Amino acid sequence: MAIGVKVVERPIEETSYVRATLSGMGNTLRHLVRPHKVTTQYPEEREPLSRRWRGTHRMLTTEDGKAKCVACGLCPTVCPANCIKLVPGEDEQGNRYPLVFEIDEFRCIFCGYCQEVCPEEAIHVGRHYENSEYSRDGFVYDLERLTAQTHPVCEMWDPADPRGE
Amino acid sequence: MADTPLVNLTIEGRPVSVPAGTSILEAAKTVGVLIPHYCYHPGLPVAGVCRMCLVDVEKAPKLAPACATAVAEGQVVHVHDEKAREARKGVLEMLLINHPLDCPICDQAGECELQDYTYQEGRADSRYREPKRFNPVEDFGGDVMYVPNRCILCTRCVRFMEDVAHDAVLNVSERGDRALIGKFEGKDLTHAWAGNVVDLCPVGALLSKDFLNKARSWELDRTASVCTGCSQGCNIIVETRDNTVVRLRPRSNAAVNEFFMCDHGRLNYRWMNRGDRLESPSILGAAGQQVVDWDVALAGAARVLKGKRILVLASSNLSNEAMFVLSRIAKASGGAGASRMVTGVEAPLPGVEDLALRADRTANGRGAELLGFTRSDAPLSGLAQGDAVIVADHDITPDDAALLAKASAVVLVSTVMPAGLPRADVVLPICNYLEEEGTLTNLRGHVQRFLQARAAPGMARPSWFVLADLANALGERMDVLTAGQVFALLASSHPDFAGLSHEALGLRGRPVAGATAGATS
Repeated sequence: MAIGVKVVERPIEETSYVRATLSGMGNTLRHLVRPHKVTTQYPEEREPLSRRWRGTHRMLTTEDGKAKCVACGLCPTVCPANCIKLVPGEDEQGNRYPLVFEIDEFRCIFCGYCQEVCPEEAIHVGRHYENSEYSRDGFVYDLERLTAQTHPVCEMWDPADPRGE
Repeated sequence: MADTPLVNLTIEGRPVSVPAGTSILEAAKTVGVLIPHYCYHPGLPVAGVCRMCLVDVEKAPKLAPACATAVAEGQVVHVHDEKAREARKGVLEMLLINHPLDCPICDQAGECELQDYTYQEGRADSRYREPKRFNPVEDFGGDVMYVPNRCILCTRCVRFMEDVAHDAVLNVSERGDRALIGKFEGKDLTHAWAGNVVDLCPVGALLSKDFLNKARSWELDRTASVCTGCSQGCNIIVETRDNTVVRLRPRSNAAVNEFFMCDHGRLNYRWMNRGDRLESPSILGAAGQQVVDWDVALAGAARVLKGKRILVLASSNLSNEAMFVLSRIAKASGGAGASRMVTGVEAPLPGVEDLALRADRTANGRGAELLGFTRSDAPLSGLAQGDAVIVADHDITPDDAALLAKASAVVLVSTVMPAGLPRADVVLPICNYLEEEGTLTNLRGHVQRFLQARAAPGMARPSWFVLADLANALGERMDVLTAGQVFALLASSHPDFAGLSHEALGLRGRPVAGATAGATS
């Protein structure tokens, strides 16, 4: 029972594989002579990060090495993921400072609100992406860890053009 | 006030009728218009120094201070028109000239009127370029600290100390832009009610040393409650953070405490956070106290109490509900209830009628008396050989301990293990007053509700709940599921409380029948 398939006769120039094979070989030859590299040889080579990259946090310090944080409580308030724990205290000079400042980097969604809201320019999200730990606890960064970070920090906005005009 | 003629006027397009002599500011409040103000406070004499409440009164030559201008017939007042807003903007700019804008480290941030009004209608930036004046932080004695840089010189604190506390300690020192709040020579803010200046201060200039840097105002959970520091029963707001009480503040109630509370009550909150609470019921066995579950403990308590005369030793800080169930248990067994007097020095606030830190330092002494408890210095003196004793959250002195040796059984219904208690056959852990609902009766017979402010530790249950279960186990039927139902039973069986219910009490409270008579102050 024939179902009447219609077979269209095409010219040999269109159906021959020779032409397509030659074109593919030509492409290969061109890349042999003038290579177009796509793979980055990480970790020897690294791609540059955007200045607005938001990675794991860093706490900036004053000249005498103390955290700039005054424990105002705005970052735990604004944090949508609720990942910042802050207990305020008072030092010998009567200045406010954080007794406990912990960021759970696993909970963090890296929105950067903490940096944006900080009135003292203390807490920052970092231009940094290489994180590894032996335990989950290691990703709860305490104040010591946050101040010890050295990676560059995110620029939320261009200082020359703060309104993005 | 009833015979004062009413005056009709229009505020922000709303018709208002208030008694003659009312200020525009108070009249505006009655129709829900808040006129921004700093120096005005309903509990203090009017000063009119902050110029923040300037409003535009039609046909008046210039803007009028709403706090110091009495209403007049046919007045048309504009609070938020261009002229008034511009004036307030100017006032705010002047106030911020020397203000350090250190909101991130200021305890008042979040509940600061300067912050609020500046956000609402202040300038976005300052035109002041000169260096700001600086004065060092000063310790005012008591619980109060003064940060002069933040001060806006509203003089509420000065007027409170002078006109309400009648103990002039504070003044405005210096003149012009150097002006600041100072203390008179050799005086300190040690008055028993001086802590109120911290609440009165609209900005962060006067701060509580106790609360300093402890929490941010927006993290706090607030619950309406009643102070248990003395028998005055001041209305308070309990402020908690992570289930921990961090601050008590007065809640206004014209019938009891106006706007104030004393320092004794204000700082008397640490016991509410105690960590050494009883958390599980236990029974005294051969191997000492044995932790058991509630059913076993209640059955055990009923076993040791049954058939004996029960003497109840109850703290007069317990709620009316708990006292009522205790009195039922005692009465059914032919026993009695007793409580120890706790007294201290009376410290009145002269500017407010009938307001004092009372000599009777128990919160519910009047309620205990109305419910048939006797209060004395030797509450266990009526204990006979072979009686059973229920110790309900009461402390134990060495004398009590010696008398308790006569008891055939001791059941402890308590928040903590009292030091010096020789033995307890059964221990039933209860909530403290912040962890349950209930009512207290103050010394003038004003019954007031308190609400639950924090979670109970471990297996502890509300006092009225535990005691009602115990009453049921002893055969005294009580079908109650809420504190309100216990109070309804109380109201139906005691004529003093007739007609009262939790709903009727609300958050302002109601007096018992025949209140103020027979009060022990």
